[in-house]
Amino acid sequence: MGLHIVVCLKAVIAQASSPTDERTAEQCELNPFDRPALALAHRLVERHGGSITALSMGPRTCDFALFEALARGAQRGVMLCDAALKGADTLATSTALAAALEKLGPFDLVLFGTQTADSDAGQVGPQTAVALDLPMVTWVTGIEYSDGKLRVERLADGFCEQFELSWPAALTVHSSAAEPTEPELGAIEQAFGASTVEIWSLEQLGLAPEQVGETGSPTRVLTIDPLNQRKVCSFIEGSTDDQIETLVEQLKTRGNWG
Amino acid sequence: MKCELTSKHRVLQRSVLSFCRREIIPVAKAIDDEARFPWEVVEKMGRLGYFGIQAPSNLGGAGLDAVSYAIVIEALSSVCASLGLCVAVHNSVVVYPILAFGSPELQQQLIPPLARGAKIGAFCLTEPNVGSDASAVEATAVRDGDHYVINANKIFVTNGGVADLCLIFARTDPTAGPKGISVIAVERGTPGFHVGDTEELMGVRANPVSSIRLHDCRVPLTQRVGEEGAGLAIGLAALNVGRIGIAAQACGIAQGALEVSIQYAKQRHQFKVPIARHQAIQLMLADMATDLEAARLLVYRAADQRDRQQPFAQESAMAKLFAAEAACRITDLAVQIHGGYGYSKHYPVERYYRDARVTRLYEGTSEVHRMVIARQVLAKP
Repeated sequence: MGLHIVVCLKAVIAQASSPTDERTAEQCELNPFDRPALALAHRLVERHGGSITALSMGPRTCDFALFEALARGAQRGVMLCDAALKGADTLATSTALAAALEKLGPFDLVLFGTQTADSDAGQVGPQTAVALDLPMVTWVTGIEYSDGKLRVERLADGFCEQFELSWPAALTVHSSAAEPTEPELGAIEQAFGASTVEIWSLEQLGLAPEQVGETGSPTRVLTIDPLNQRKVCSFIEGSTDDQIETLVEQLKTRGNWG
Repeated sequence: MKCELTSKHRVLQRSVLSFCRREIIPVAKAIDDEARFPWEVVEKMGRLGYFGIQAPSNLGGAGLDAVSYAIVIEALSSVCASLGLCVAVHNSVVVYPILAFGSPELQQQLIPPLARGAKIGAFCLTEPNVGSDASAVEATAVRDGDHYVINANKIFVTNGGVADLCLIFARTDPTAGPKGISVIAVERGTPGFHVGDTEELMGVRANPVSSIRLHDCRVPLTQRVGEEGAGLAIGLAALNVGRIGIAAQACGIAQGALEVSIQYAKQRHQFKVPIARHQAIQLMLADMATDLEAARLLVYRAADQRDRQQPFAQESAMAKLFAAEAACRITDLAVQIHGGYGYSKHYPVERYYRDARVTRLYEGTSEVHRMVIARQVLAKP
């Protein structure tokens, strides 16, 4: 029978000319933080059998991320694509993903990256797990699956936590759990040349327009301004004790200490 | 007209560049210094399909198109021209002619190990007295029953020091002039097959360019690629394809040189500002970027023509000529921007400068390319 693993992923903006740019295929790439999740899914399925479904939401032009997931070992790609989904914040995104996951079930695992490289929130995984009432562990650094039991570990504040989870479960996967490798060139050709990605509309998800997209989002990004982080190099003079004292004073003044 | 890469091409490009960052950049300087062929990297490239980019999947290849091929070579060459060269030559002037002209049996026998990089290929045309005039081949292949007995002295063989399979251009009919040459696939290890010393070259030093000598080497007739006497035509057809690869290699070298120049110009301060703020440097960077973009468009156009099964001999010759000349201009300016540091081996532009120079020489000099282009231009009514 094997495992059915769903990996949720996003095409993120790699090079934006302005922060409010819409996502286009030229500007975007598969979220680097999602690659460990795909790599882990691939490893589990190789060892224990089963299949991987890649799930994403976004404009049609970002379907390449799903084709890339197919090249990286997924067997099925599903894209949630509907004008009503535009402008979704993390909660509205989670609502849509949860509805899709209900349709994709039964599954054993839902894997996410720890965060996205563009908005960096790290909320979609946990929120989706809550919406589906799935047990979730975030920032998973190691996974062990044997005798039908799933044990994972995560590193937090200098501690290593170990969990045993019931099925089905959701995880956000840290890069130390599975290092992504590059796909074979032939797999890229196969994915883009001979595979298809399913496009699901809002109607297929059984959601109302007000539940998703901008109207279903309780948060709004009002402005995004680049920060000017100037690096200044200064040398502290004097004896070692004097230098330490001066440094501590400077750190206190800047709020870095005390 | 569309002048943009497809999603597949962009994903491919990112994947190759990611491989380059992880596996090649860490060793690129050392393998140039040591003139060492990096087997540890090449084996990984083989597993990923870099040695059978356009070979069909039923023969173990990746089945990609010519634009993809150009993308792979450009990306590899942007960090290591030696590996870009290795892959370009293997794919375009070894795998391609076997696929285009070899018998189905020969393809079944030779392509799978070549496509997965288990065997490295070499193209052996050049001889001490055979350069731009490829029809003057002096190597001989004399029939003896169901074998050829080959005697050849091939020089400047790219991949020569590591090649497992060499396409040898030899004269099978001494009276037939240009139509008396044949191509024969000879495996390393065949009695009489000798690999000469690795050349001490100015650039592409991690590629073991060497001489290959065959002394009374007996090879079955079935190892001949294409018809007897068709060798020159096969060689020229292979070089048409090969030019796209060398042009892509030149673009890669130029891209690498441009990137480090932009980075350096932003970091290096003189007269209290980054040198990128000085107009003299900006003018150089603008020329470099424009030259590179023009070269790249010619390369992709030639590759696209090939993918659309349109004639591409003129396009590939123009791409190779322009990209090679541009790479030399661009790497020269890159050294200039770096000032004294650009002349130091501690900075990568010195390597890019040396690597670029050979692109104007091999697989046809710039002058031969001008001859080819002029012939085609003048042939038009």
